[in-house]
Amino acid sequence: MEAPGGGASPLSPALVGRLRREHEKVVTGCQEKIQHWKKVESDYEALQERLQTLPDKLSYDVMVPFGPLAFMPGKLVHTNEITVLLGDNWFSKCSAKQAIELVEHRKKHVRKALDDLQKVMKNFESRAEFTEDLQKMSDAAGEYVDIREEMEDDSIETKGKYRTAHKPHSKPKVSNVFEVDFAANGNDTKPMGRFQSEEELWARLEELERQEEMLGELDRMPDAVGINGEDATSSEDEKEDKDTDVNGTCRAEDCITQGNFHKEFGNSDLFVGHLNGSTYYHSDDEDDRDVGDNSVPTIFFSHTVEPKRVRINTGKNTTLKFSEKKEEAKRKRRNSSGNGHAAPELPNIKTPADIYRVFVDVVNGEYVPRKSILKSRSRENSVCSDTSENSAAEFDDRRGVQRSISCDEATQSDNSEGILEEEEGEGKQQLPKKLPPSSGTTEAFSGTVIEKEPLSPSVMPHPVLAHPVLPTILERKSEELLSDAPEEPVKRISKFRAARMQQTQ
Amino acid sequence: MSGRPLRQEDGESAALRHKEELSRRIKEQKVVVDELSNLKKNRKVYKQQPNSNIFFLADRTEMLSQCKNTLDELKKAHQEMENSEKAKIKK
Repeated sequence: MEAPGGGASPLSPALVGRLRREHEKVVTGCQEKIQHWKKVESDYEALQERLQTLPDKLSYDVMVPFGPLAFMPGKLVHTNEITVLLGDNWFSKCSAKQAIELVEHRKKHVRKALDDLQKVMKNFESRAEFTEDLQKMSDAAGEYVDIREEMEDDSIETKGKYRTAHKPHSKPKVSNVFEVDFAANGNDTKPMGRFQSEEELWARLEELERQEEMLGELDRMPDAVGINGEDATSSEDEKEDKDTDVNGTCRAEDCITQGNFHKEFGNSDLFVGHLNGSTYYHSDDEDDRDVGDNSVPTIFFSHTVEPKRVRINTGKNTTLKFSEKKEEAKRKRRNSSGNGHAAPELPNIKTPADIYRVFVDVVNGEYVPRKSILKSRSRENSVCSDTSENSAAEFDDRRGVQRSISCDEATQSDNSEGILEEEEGEGKQQLPKKLPPSSGTTEAFSGTVIEKEPLSPSVMPHPVLAHPVLPTILERKSEELLSDAPEEPVKRISKFRAARMQQTQ
Repeated sequence: MSGRPLRQEDGESAALRHKEELSRRIKEQKVVVDELSNLKKNRKVYKQQPNSNIFFLADRTEMLSQCKNTLDELKKAHQEMENSEKAKIKK
């Protein structure tokens, strides 16, 4: 019977009183048990006494009990034969002396039990005494006071600095970094380009969705001319002065996803790059592709009736096709880490380039192709560029357009950061060539970055052969490139494409 | 006939209970002593074996003396208790 553990902390009289009562209960219980065991012990002692004298006489005159109330005079014989109960209805026949030993053994147990009970009783008596004192203390409030100090400052508890959990749906820091980089580059960051706060992101998302719906209607329009800008949905286009048409379309499309990465392609260079690439990323569905005006970086695409398909200039060389806004939303939410990486959860994404096709950011009401981290200005890997789905013809067209623009862009490729700065002029065109093959081999980037000087248009065909190291280039592209080489005044082939072409050849 | 086992209570907090128990036993012993003293000479006296229902023949005179001793002891204890209580009260 254990009394409840010391509840001295709440010094309420009721609780203390209850504690004391529990203690007393235990004490009385112990006393009863002690009484019982003492009786048992005395019984054993009497028995022992009797056994010692029993064998002295042959027989004893006894009153033999008949049942509980009747007795009969009789004689007790065989005074030395004792049958002892060992327990469990087992008996043992032994002599009086042996019985005495047995009794002694049992008395030992009884004494042990008594001792334990005594200890317990003593323990609980002391506890009861303590609670009594406690009660007196609580009663005498004036004398004793429990000093308490509320700890309001939690900082003491933690040794290290607090780690605040990320807000749900908060963008990872990477994106922010990228945004900053873009700003540092001096891009004309769209005012909406930086949605640092979640709320702004969501608001932007909604706006982009609306625009996408609008754009979807536009997409259904008959192709070509009228649809100029729809395809090239690069947010950057807006900023670009050159490609006004594209800009217009871009705005119409309105990148849904607010770009973590794509943000500020405000650079003219980037824009040009996008334009270059835009040609490459036709959706598979698109039937025809108009190369677009070469004079002005305008890209005209003809689409199939494809709801919510948008072509966006994602990188310098590529255009992405913008697909469902949901994908965009997902993309935006997830703050996709790498544009260069395929997003398995998105449909029709087989290559990293598909990602760009799928995810576009909406900046200022326009679709801005996402610029992958791999595709930052500093990295012209073009890994993320272009989709694998492009048909040969599309690529060809794209390339054509791209080349037309690339010349202009090449000169402007100052802003591009990093490795491929020199190659911007070329790289923009080269990058799309580097696009992962539509056949499905997902090898977006050979891993080799070759810096080249801007090639003159006439020289363009040659680089195809001049870059043997580049492994994978779409075969069709390469073929088209060669075929188109004579057509275009300026034909630039990305080094990757050139390598591929060479390999295929 | 007598053979009430002797018990002693050690409960401190149950002093009153102890006292009552003591007085009760004293009464019993008085009865026993009176009975034994008023027995005819030819009567047999049997003493019960503790915790059992068997009675052993016992000597009347011995039993009488034993019971008287027991009574005296009980009275002594009782007296001591009363004295201690009075002493406590006086304190």
